[in-house]
Amino acid sequence: MKIRFWGVRGSIPAPGPDTNRYGGNTSCVSVTTATGHLIILDMGTGLMHLGNHLLASEFGKGRGAATILLSHAHWDHIQGLGFFAPVFIPGNKFELRGHGRSSSMLEGILEGQMNPNFSPLYTLKNLGAAFDVHAIVPGEPFTAGGVRVTAQPNPHGTTTALAFRLDEGAASFVYASDVGYGPDGPTPAVRALYRGADALLHDTTYTPADQARRQSRGFSSYEQAADAAIAAGARRLIAFHYDQDYTDADVDALTAACRAYLDAHGGRAIELIPAAEGLELAL
Amino acid sequence: MKVRFWGVRGSIPVPGPSTNRYGGNTSCVEVRPRGAWPIIIDAGTGIRRLGKALMDERFGDGSGTAHILISHTHWDHIQGMPFFSPLYRAGNKLHVFARQRGDTHLQAVFASQTEDPYFPVPLSALEASIEFHELVEGNRFAIDKTLVTCTRLNHPWIAMAYRLDCDGAAVVYCSDTAPFSDILLEHEFISKPPTGEPLPKAIADKLAAMRASLVALCKGADLLIYDTQFTIDEYKLRPHWGHSTPEDAIAIAREAGVKTLCLYHHAPMRSDEAQDAILMAARWSAKSHGDGFNVIAAHEGLELVLGDDDGLAPVVAP
Repeated sequence: MKIRFWGVRGSIPAPGPDTNRYGGNTSCVSVTTATGHLIILDMGTGLMHLGNHLLASEFGKGRGAATILLSHAHWDHIQGLGFFAPVFIPGNKFELRGHGRSSSMLEGILEGQMNPNFSPLYTLKNLGAAFDVHAIVPGEPFTAGGVRVTAQPNPHGTTTALAFRLDEGAASFVYASDVGYGPDGPTPAVRALYRGADALLHDTTYTPADQARRQSRGFSSYEQAADAAIAAGARRLIAFHYDQDYTDADVDALTAACRAYLDAHGGRAIELIPAAEGLELAL
Repeated sequence: MKVRFWGVRGSIPVPGPSTNRYGGNTSCVEVRPRGAWPIIIDAGTGIRRLGKALMDERFGDGSGTAHILISHTHWDHIQGMPFFSPLYRAGNKLHVFARQRGDTHLQAVFASQTEDPYFPVPLSALEASIEFHELVEGNRFAIDKTLVTCTRLNHPWIAMAYRLDCDGAAVVYCSDTAPFSDILLEHEFISKPPTGEPLPKAIADKLAAMRASLVALCKGADLLIYDTQFTIDEYKLRPHWGHSTPEDAIAIAREAGVKTLCLYHHAPMRSDEAQDAILMAARWSAKSHGDGFNVIAAHEGLELVLGDDDGLAPVVAP
C-alpha cells in the first residue's frame, strides 16, 4: 500500500503562510493498493488536489475507477467532492462506501450538498462519472482492489465516525479520524480494529489542554492518540486532523510533546509521523 | 468608512504556498462605517478570522451587533458562517440579509447548512440572536447611517450586488456574475456553454436591463469590488458558470464612472504570480482605453479608507 496525504486539517480549511508546511486542506488521504487500485479516504478540500493530479492518469480519459471511504458526512469530510475533477468525466466509476443508516440515506446526504441553494451542480446526477453508493455495516468486511476493508464506529461529538482498517497481505493501515472517546476509551471492537496496525492514523486535533476545554466537539488529544497506539501495539502513529488555528510551529510542538508522551508511556518503539500534505508512505 | 478584505478567493478555499500573498480564504469583506458596527459582505472562510478579531471588541462580552449581507448562498459565500465566533456568545445580535427564494425561506437554507449530519451545532443551538431578512431587487434600506441598495446579478440561482453609501463614500460589491451578453443564468441547470446562436430578443433585453441596473448601482462609486474569476479564454469554456473577466469589470467601471476597480473572487488554482499578471494586464487595458480609474486586486488583509474617514477614528462601535 502506498499512502499519500492531500489534506490533514480539521474542521475548516486554514489557508495562510503559517500552515504552509503541514498544509491547510481538510481531510483526504489516498491509498494505492498493490494491484494499482485507488482508495480515497474522506473528501475534504484535499480531494481537489488529488483530482487534479489524477487527470494525468486513466481518470483523465474517463477510464478510472476508485473506491471512496467516507468516515462521516461533516462538511470538512465531503466539501471537496464538487471540485474533484474526475467526477466530471463520463466513464469514470466511483464506489462510495460510508457511514449511513442506509445507502439511499447516504446518497441523500451527498445530494443535499449539491442542492442548488448551495452549489451550481444542483444534483449528483449532473456529475458525469458513475457513482455507486453503499452504507457500510460495521464489522462486515469487504474488499477493494485486493485490500480487505473493515470499519467500526467511534463516538464523535453528537454523531459517530467510522474508523477503517485496510489489510493487504501482511501490511495494515488504520484510518481513525474524528474520534472523541468516552471515559473508557475505545470500544473492544475498535481496539480489535487497531490491533497490531503497521500504521495507525489517529485524530490528534488538540493538545490535552485544548481537548479538555472542548470535549463536546468529539476530537482527540495527542495523548489519547498515543494511548491508542500503545494499547494497539502499532508500529507507527500518524498524527492527523490538526485544529484550524494551529500554526506549523504549534503542530511542531504538538508532535514533539506526543513523542515525549510516547517515550514516557511505553511507546518508545512507535514511530511517530505527523501527517503533512504531499507526504508519501509505503507499507 | 473602512473596507477590509478577509477572503478574496472564489469557489473553494485554497491553502498553500502559491496563495500566500493574495490569500486562500473564500469571500468575505468587512465594511466599517466610521464609529459604527461592522457590515459584513459574504461569509466565506474569511469570516472565521474576522470573527476572532471581533471577539476582541464588544462581541467578546456579548454586546455586539453585526449585519451580514449575503450575495448568494453558494458554499464559498457561506461556508465560514458556522465558524464565526460571535455566534457562540449570548447577547450578540446578528442580522443576515439575502435574496428571497421562491421555494425556501432564507432561515431554512441556513438551518440546513448546519443540520445533522453536516455539522455538529444546529442553527437553533447558537447563543447569539440571529434575524434573517429577505430582500428583493431594488430594495433600499438603512443599517444605522449606511444606506444599502441592491440589484440582481447573472449567476446560477441568482446573486445580489450591494451598494453601501456612508461617510460621504460609496462601495459596491458585485460577486458573483457572468457578463450580460451570452447567457441568462437563473434557476435552470445549464450543463454546457451556449452554442453561440444569437439570444432571443426577450432574453437579450432582460440581460441588457440587468446590466443597466448594475451600472446605475455602481454610478460614481469610490470602490467597485467585482468578480473577475476568469480570463477571457477561461470564460469562453465556461460562460455558464456565472463569472466575469477583468475586461467585463473594466467596462462596467468605465460606464459607471467609479474611482477604483478592485478585482475579486480569484480563481482557486490561480497562483500569486498569475494573479499579479492578471492585475498588470487589467491596469494596462484600462490605461490604454484612457480610463482614469485605479485598478487594484483584492488580497487578504487589504484595508482601504474611503470618504471622510481620516483613518484614525476608532473603529470600535458605539
